[in-house]
Amino acid sequence: MRQGRLIATGVMLAFCLFALWQALLLSLTDRLGPGPGFFPFWLALIGAVLAVALLFTTFREPVDPADAEVRILPHGPGAKRWLAIVVLLAATAAAMEIVGFRLAMLVFNAALVIALGERRWWLIAVFAVLGSFGVHYIFTTWLDVLLPAGWIWS
Amino acid sequence: MEAFHHLLAGFAAALTVKYLLFALAGCVLGTLIGVLPGLGPAAGTAILIPLTFSLDPTGAIIMLSAIYYGAMYGGTITSVLINVPGEAASVVTCIDGYQMALQGRAGSALAIAAIGSFVGGTLATVALVLVATPLATLALKFGPVEFFALMVAGLCLVVGLAGKNMLAALLMTVIGLLFAMIGLDPVRGAPRFTFGIEELYDGIGFVPVVMGLFGVAELLIAAEKRQARMIQADLKNWMPTKEERRASAGAIGRGTVIGFILGLIPGVGAIVPTFMAYVIEKRVSKTPERFGKGAIEGVASAETANNAYANAAMVPLLALGIPSSPTIAVLMGAFIINGLTPGPFLFQERPELVWTVIASFFVGNALLLILNLPLVGLWAKLLKIPFSYLCTGVLIFCVIGAYGLKQSLFDVWVMLGFGIIGYLLRKLDFPIAPAILALILGPMMERSLRTTLEMSGGSYAIFLDRPVALVLLTVPVIVLGALLLRPGTFSKLRETDTD
Repeated sequence: MRQGRLIATGVMLAFCLFALWQALLLSLTDRLGPGPGFFPFWLALIGAVLAVALLFTTFREPVDPADAEVRILPHGPGAKRWLAIVVLLAATAAAMEIVGFRLAMLVFNAALVIALGERRWWLIAVFAVLGSFGVHYIFTTWLDVLLPAGWIWS
Repeated sequence: MEAFHHLLAGFAAALTVKYLLFALAGCVLGTLIGVLPGLGPAAGTAILIPLTFSLDPTGAIIMLSAIYYGAMYGGTITSVLINVPGEAASVVTCIDGYQMALQGRAGSALAIAAIGSFVGGTLATVALVLVATPLATLALKFGPVEFFALMVAGLCLVVGLAGKNMLAALLMTVIGLLFAMIGLDPVRGAPRFTFGIEELYDGIGFVPVVMGLFGVAELLIAAEKRQARMIQADLKNWMPTKEERRASAGAIGRGTVIGFILGLIPGVGAIVPTFMAYVIEKRVSKTPERFGKGAIEGVASAETANNAYANAAMVPLLALGIPSSPTIAVLMGAFIINGLTPGPFLFQERPELVWTVIASFFVGNALLLILNLPLVGLWAKLLKIPFSYLCTGVLIFCVIGAYGLKQSLFDVWVMLGFGIIGYLLRKLDFPIAPAILALILGPMMERSLRTTLEMSGGSYAIFLDRPVALVLLTVPVIVLGALLLRPGTFSKLRETDTD
């Protein structure tokens, strides 16, 4: 936990320093007053100072034995479920423009409920169809929300 | 008197079939969100934004507000029946509510929670009517100097109440503000931090970020855990006994006052008023030893304070344009999506919308009471939905919500990215609420500060010349200083609070 907090704060420090560098590339002032870089510059500077202070205080904190048992990354049987959600969501986002919302969601729904433990094929099929074609119909027809059609329907 | 006339007109609109249906749909969906463990009001409200895309602004805000306070009530059901709070504010309800369920009194616990929520929500809305107009009138006299100071004060209070994590909360606020800087500069229109990526010219979308940090992150955390089991409860005899009603009356009154007052303060979060109401109730009780063993006053006080808080938290949003919690920030986002800027000018420019929405709070509270007393058994059945279907169903809405706003797959990636970031931040105990509030307030803060400095020719002395701004900037400094000297205050209460 302590190590994780140190790493996370280090990443935030790097982010603030990067933002500081980017802000310096913009004008801090112009003839009317503060320029586009003014606010990001001061924010990034304050953020960097805060990150250093947090690194310092976290580093000085006494090590709590209970903290060592806290696992930051997913572990155990839950890790597979965690990974399934992330991978399938990423695959769906990548495929949606090409195959469209309906097909991408059909596969996503079926694959995710199986990955999360469902084994009744008829229930999986009904849910996958309703959650893709059914939801697409409701949102595009009744709620006027535009969703990617994909190469088959375009 | 003028407010009363506006409110009557608001009722006339809110009671039309169209808006009644929106309020009803919002209450049903909100209760559903609250019932499902792990999905809080902020995520629920954000996820359901796409349902309002085709509605007129008034209908959209009515429905999303109803989802918000519906979710605040719905969390009670899981607290009582499976000892798992449906949302953070219901943590306190678990203490006595679950004990009552084990004793076969689940029906009474849920009924008194519904009655307390109705009374607390309704009385807080009456107070909102009385407070909002004078506050908005006062705020009309504010210039950019005062608005900047007000936003700084709001963010400082959010940070201050993070307790032992105050330094982390300050850093998260700055990170949120830096993310808000992405896109076109709001004053000159110059691109910043866009790196030539077209999608970044509009800035990082608030809705995908909230869906990621609250919706996807919550599901990722839930996916790791084993699901809790519901106890078999008799929900047919839900009417509390005469003795229970008498015991709860005082608790409901005190819970309303505590919830309303704390709801006015930005950053307090829903868990603080519920905990405070519970502690006070235990202090004033002649038999404090019953608390923790199934005291109905414990359930009544916490649930009343919870809903009084939810309605009172609308005051800073409607009158000042300042969101006091992530869920209210989502509602503010919904206002902005609909082309409206909440705050004092909205009372002048769109009084019919503001008062219809306020009137709908009364209607929504009544609908929640009707929905929750006789139908409590039906809501309890929803707890049997397997996680596999629940998780997939919520993710479908997340994808549509993230994509649908700008028809951009980039926003789906943003949602997924922030989902993983939110998961890690929670595991590492970094407070997320300050970053969310900073993200939505960032552009307004920058605009106000830069206009102020243009007005003063670059001199910061302008803040000393304006008494309101000076007070608004001084108070949070004192609060932060005092809390830095006494770290740990509120920290235990805030650990799980996402609202």
